[in-house]
Amino acid sequence: MTDGLKRRDFLKVVGASGAGAGVLGCSTERVERLLPYVVPPEEITPGVATWYTTVCGECEAGCGMWVRTREGRVVKVEGNPTHPVSQGSLCSRGHSSLQALYNPDRFTGPMLRQGGELQSISWEDAEQMMAERLGAAGDYYLFTGSPGASMSGLMSDFAGSTGGQVVRYDPLAEAPLREASRITFGRDVVPWYDLEEADFLVSFGADFLESWLSPVRDGRGFARMSGVGEGGAKGRFAFVGSRLSLTGQNADEWLPIQPGSEALVALAMANVLSGGGGSAGPYRDIVAAYTPENVASVTGVEAESIRELAERFGEGPSLALGPGVAGLHRGATAANVAVAILNWVSGNVGTTVHYDAPQLEAPSSGFGPMEQAITAMSGGQVGAALVHGSNLVYALPASSGFREAFSSVDFKVSFASAMDETAAVADLILPDRHFLEAWGDATSRPGQWAVRQPAMRPVPHFDSKQTGDVLLSVATQMGQDLGSATFYDYLRTRWADLATTAGAADADAFWHESLRTGVAQVGVTPSGSAESLRQPDRGLVFDPPAFDGAGDLHLMVYPSSRYGDGALNANRPWLQELPDPVSKITWHSWVEIHPDRAEAMGIRNGDVVVLSTEHGSVEAPVWTYPGIREDVIALAMGSGHTDAGRFADGNGVNALDLLPSEAEALSGGLVHFVTKVDVQATGERRALASIAGSDSQSNRPITPAVALAGLGAEIGAEEDEHGPLQELQGGGGFVPVETEGLATDFPLPGSQYGEYGEEDTPRWAMAIDLDKCTGCSACVTACQAENNVPWVGESQVTMGRDMGWIRLERYYETVDASHAGPVDVRFLPMICQHCGNAPCEPVCPVFATYHTPDGINTQVYNRCVGTRYCANNCPYKVRVYNWYTYTGEEPVYEGLGHIPEPLNWQLNPDVTVRENGIMEKCSFCIHRIREHQDRAAVEGSTITDGQIIPACQQSCPAEAIVFGNIRDSGSAVALASHDERAYRVLDELVNTQPAVSYLKKVTFHEVDSGEH
Amino acid sequence: MSTATEVQRGALTHPDVQSLDEVNRDVLRSLGRPGKGWWALLALALAGMGVGGYSWGIQVIKGIGVTGLTSPVGWGVYITTFVFWVGIAHSGTLISAILFLFRAPWRQSIYRAAEAMTVFAVMTAGLFPLIHVGRVWHAYWLIPYPNSRFLWPNFRSPLVWDVFAVTTYFTVSAVFFYLGTIPDLAAARDAASGFRKKLYQVISLGWRGTDREWHHFGKAYIFLAALATPLVLSVHSVVSWDFAVAIVPGWHTTIFAPYFVAGAIFSGVAMVITLTVPLRKVFGLEAYLTTKHYDAMAKLCLMTSMIVFYAYLSEFFMAWYSGEEVERAAFWARLFGQYWWATWIMLTCNGIVPVMLWFKRVRYSIPALFAISIFVNIGMWFERYVIIVTSLHHEYEPFAWGVYRPSTVEMGILLGSFAWFGFWFLLFTRLIPPIAIAELKEVLPTTNRPRAIAGAGGQGGDQ
Repeated sequence: MTDGLKRRDFLKVVGASGAGAGVLGCSTERVERLLPYVVPPEEITPGVATWYTTVCGECEAGCGMWVRTREGRVVKVEGNPTHPVSQGSLCSRGHSSLQALYNPDRFTGPMLRQGGELQSISWEDAEQMMAERLGAAGDYYLFTGSPGASMSGLMSDFAGSTGGQVVRYDPLAEAPLREASRITFGRDVVPWYDLEEADFLVSFGADFLESWLSPVRDGRGFARMSGVGEGGAKGRFAFVGSRLSLTGQNADEWLPIQPGSEALVALAMANVLSGGGGSAGPYRDIVAAYTPENVASVTGVEAESIRELAERFGEGPSLALGPGVAGLHRGATAANVAVAILNWVSGNVGTTVHYDAPQLEAPSSGFGPMEQAITAMSGGQVGAALVHGSNLVYALPASSGFREAFSSVDFKVSFASAMDETAAVADLILPDRHFLEAWGDATSRPGQWAVRQPAMRPVPHFDSKQTGDVLLSVATQMGQDLGSATFYDYLRTRWADLATTAGAADADAFWHESLRTGVAQVGVTPSGSAESLRQPDRGLVFDPPAFDGAGDLHLMVYPSSRYGDGALNANRPWLQELPDPVSKITWHSWVEIHPDRAEAMGIRNGDVVVLSTEHGSVEAPVWTYPGIREDVIALAMGSGHTDAGRFADGNGVNALDLLPSEAEALSGGLVHFVTKVDVQATGERRALASIAGSDSQSNRPITPAVALAGLGAEIGAEEDEHGPLQELQGGGGFVPVETEGLATDFPLPGSQYGEYGEEDTPRWAMAIDLDKCTGCSACVTACQAENNVPWVGESQVTMGRDMGWIRLERYYETVDASHAGPVDVRFLPMICQHCGNAPCEPVCPVFATYHTPDGINTQVYNRCVGTRYCANNCPYKVRVYNWYTYTGEEPVYEGLGHIPEPLNWQLNPDVTVRENGIMEKCSFCIHRIREHQDRAAVEGSTITDGQIIPACQQSCPAEAIVFGNIRDSGSAVALASHDERAYRVLDELVNTQPAVSYLKKVTFHEVDSGEH
Repeated sequence: MSTATEVQRGALTHPDVQSLDEVNRDVLRSLGRPGKGWWALLALALAGMGVGGYSWGIQVIKGIGVTGLTSPVGWGVYITTFVFWVGIAHSGTLISAILFLFRAPWRQSIYRAAEAMTVFAVMTAGLFPLIHVGRVWHAYWLIPYPNSRFLWPNFRSPLVWDVFAVTTYFTVSAVFFYLGTIPDLAAARDAASGFRKKLYQVISLGWRGTDREWHHFGKAYIFLAALATPLVLSVHSVVSWDFAVAIVPGWHTTIFAPYFVAGAIFSGVAMVITLTVPLRKVFGLEAYLTTKHYDAMAKLCLMTSMIVFYAYLSEFFMAWYSGEEVERAAFWARLFGQYWWATWIMLTCNGIVPVMLWFKRVRYSIPALFAISIFVNIGMWFERYVIIVTSLHHEYEPFAWGVYRPSTVEMGILLGSFAWFGFWFLLFTRLIPPIAIAELKEVLPTTNRPRAIAGAGGQGGDQ
């Protein structure tokens, strides 16, 4: 029982979901006031958390979730370990869904625009009005995003019976990938990728760790593939693209290709692997034409590099991932086809790529139908437009004319639960429930189902109603019978059918079992049918597409790794303040330029520039980044909101303003990488709200790496590593304390006072595998959610006062955008090291920080006077200070962190909320440790290894973190800390004896050992 | 107390003092009705205190965030100013206690002002730990006091040592200062009338100048001088350990205690010069505070300047010689990094400008000395700023490096601290004879010395 579902958790979920779900389900009454429990509800014990399963509604990946509730309030979401997609992990965006649930900017009830102003209206009137207007409208559009399987079904039923048309549009949908799958293998699907099974991975710009398809699942698969395993087995990853995304930063090598030339690299590789195209079936001639030599000059990659890459690619199970959204240019479908050919010729189809068991529930309509809808709306042929689960005015380029077209419709309904740019022009607003308060379901791939169930009563501040219920009610009023009175009934009916498909005897039992486990397997398995390449039925052009505009700077607009497209999730302080994993910038937009290019243009970091294309212009500060080609300028999506709420509005710029509204010819996907851009300095400067100090380790042993070839020889090399220091000590120099102490040697002689150190007292310790860590920053948000860590606001981050307990450090070692070669970016989640010989402890004048007998360096918030001496003396700089009270309902100053009602409902009752003048830092989630210890004491049981999981470990998609008692020699953390790659940051310099061990990153290229 | 040699030396130092009678008259004249200038200065001081108090008020109400402090620079102007004022305090005790024990002939005229400066500087310094902490309403937790939870302060923390050092220093220097003034307060009492007479009657503790009183006075004074002497070394050593005990590169060196003590005396003597130059001008005390005094103080400045400069150089040398990357980087950043200007101000003001003191003409030029003393005051404030801020901003973790810029609130409080100090010093000039009348008389040659004083001195000398 070291991982997976624990018995206790299992029972909790059994008890809670089965009984609780039905009771809490579909109440729409508002709770007027809180009453003490006269008759306490059976499943709620004050002080004990209740857990429910559900499915994350943040993106299409459909991660299974466990929802932690305390006293009837949702306080935390975590990955459901039994769910095949999340496998227990979650990304930052998933965690931040809590801030959408409790968002203070949610609509307080249904609204009707009268005379330009929104006025409250009752649900009855609103529904009646909608029924009348839809009835009168004739044709109407129902726009939606990714609402889940049953909701999609209901929408189709509703639209079908009332004369409407559903347009499903997801800005980040992989239309070219689906079209390429159709062209090559005759399947209009997004294939299922098995990263874990590959030994060699090539991404042609697909940001699979951030925004592409299923980041949590792929993050796990990637870490398992690329993390060094038994016997030094380590998968290799090459990134082919014009800019290093976070995914690219995790690569072992980088081919910085000419913008838009992925297809050529893929075909040239296929050429090498197929012996000049011989095994490429119908594409034989095409592949034969693209030899590495032929494409070298166009792609900017030497033939030798391509050949070498191809040869390694052909060696074992490998996998090529097609261009992602950032690379969605005019030839995107052809590029995807080229990648599919590459996978085919190296025998990956059926092993690491599966077209017969695809992923993602239902296809989005692409941009084509949206264009038609826009034309129809602006032509006045449409009587009404309904928008659900998407924010199209923001998510479509201004040049698409959606805003104007939509505004011209007579009756516009928005189901947005909080104000957004689309709701801002709607006539009627019928706020939907948040997915944590609502019923629903999702399929992450065929046959894999999960129920979305309400984990709490609807947040009482907001009079919301599930859109499914609204549609059913409106349909009834329009005289249509969709077979169910409520969406819950509708869902149950669908699930009764599923139960039949699954062969379950008892539909109710099947339903309850699905609620309990959070996942249902319904029969469909991969067909296993052999795929074969088909003759292309459309004309394919593989050469790099044309870019509009003059000059040589190509504009890359990429989905933010924090927000994706940011249409619906930007109004969340956790996401706004999460340092972008690449730039480490928070809150505002930035323009990425290569430092050499910037220098040539006379631009420095922080200079504000105007980017302009023929479609628009935006103004943002420059951040120079060596991981981008000199002829590319990059700008992230997701910022620049005008009507999305108090936390999002006015931050940064909307990158889509620079883009044309153009569908890729073959797939109908909206193109993002299509234009050149003009960059002009404004002469203004601004300080970047960045958490990054220096990007260089400055010759310090912070994140040393080891070459794969050098593994195993490490032990011998160990002696030399301490070279100068030991020499000094051996020569009669000052030898303070034993510097070779292990984390288990605790407490150190001389470091103890008080009743410490029974033999059987645990010492809690952590080990973080930097070979697995991808820098995705999920742990940062998980920690923030768990520990009531406040957000501080842009001005404070700019000053350096960010309060994250985990600082995900990012150091560049080798980043060269001028030619193909190794790339080496080091990530290090820096947390309190819980030093055995902690420098912070002796300097605190009031014992606010001290050691517990089980080796945790604790911070007693109530005792802290705020001298900040501990932070000065912490060599790791992990102590963060409450410069203001960031936890009040009102900000101390405009723009400062605060927790307005009802965001404070999210606060974890197990953790103290801190005020101005208090130091804080990682506590190893001590409340979780104590919870388990207390329960073990009450039950007379013992704590097993792996039972206590801190929030960061729980959330880590890469499984890079292990936690436990290092004195238990069999524990995972003890084993990890004795790994040959294990080291402790700065230990030999400052002799802090940390409890946190890091495992060195393993590189394929030779590295300086990191010691000096 | 004084021997014949001392009297001869005293005569040489004060050639223009004609009679002992004149001493009383000249010195006590300063206690008369204050002029417009004094009131203007007092108003200025009160205004400055208002600014400081207002700034502090904002900080307490809004949060410590109104400062420019940030991670990783958790200490800034407040601790800089704290160390600055503690340092200023030191020369007073040096002059009054150590020079007393060593029988230096030039101390009599300046020690009163220096000692007052000590007390007020400690009073100013003592405010800064309170201003600095995040939750001032809990600052008393640093003091060991009986409580039901048996919670003690952490005696391993240098900040607790600071609490003891500063409170001890304040207690001893205040008592020493007050004791020394008693005979002069009695003299003032005899010369005053009205309310002031009543005040002096109370605070002079009924001093009559009997042999017995002089005897006890002499004993008490010498004991207190002996008691205060180690504090000159210990208090600033303890303050230096706030830094040296930490592992911050740039702080963690054994040189800090002597280096800080030398710096303290350096800055303190400079401050004495800064304060007494206008004092002697305004009150016409040129005959008592002569160029010989200033020459002596300038020499003290010169010597301590050399010690301090040597300490700077040895720090840079050791950083290089250690071969330690982090240490080297810290000192490189100190010289050429973000805060290079502060470091070069420090080096120029404390190491280069005082070189002029080698020249006798400079040492004997009051305006030149005044100017140099201002440089030193600025340089010594920046020395602490450099030590604190540049070390913290460039520590072990490169990714956590950051920049600190003082805010207006901090500047307001810095201004307020000078105003607060000035306020007390202004009161001092009007309430307490700024030159030790009785002691000065001891070293002046005269034929008609009152028997009482000569007797006390004679006994001391005979034993």
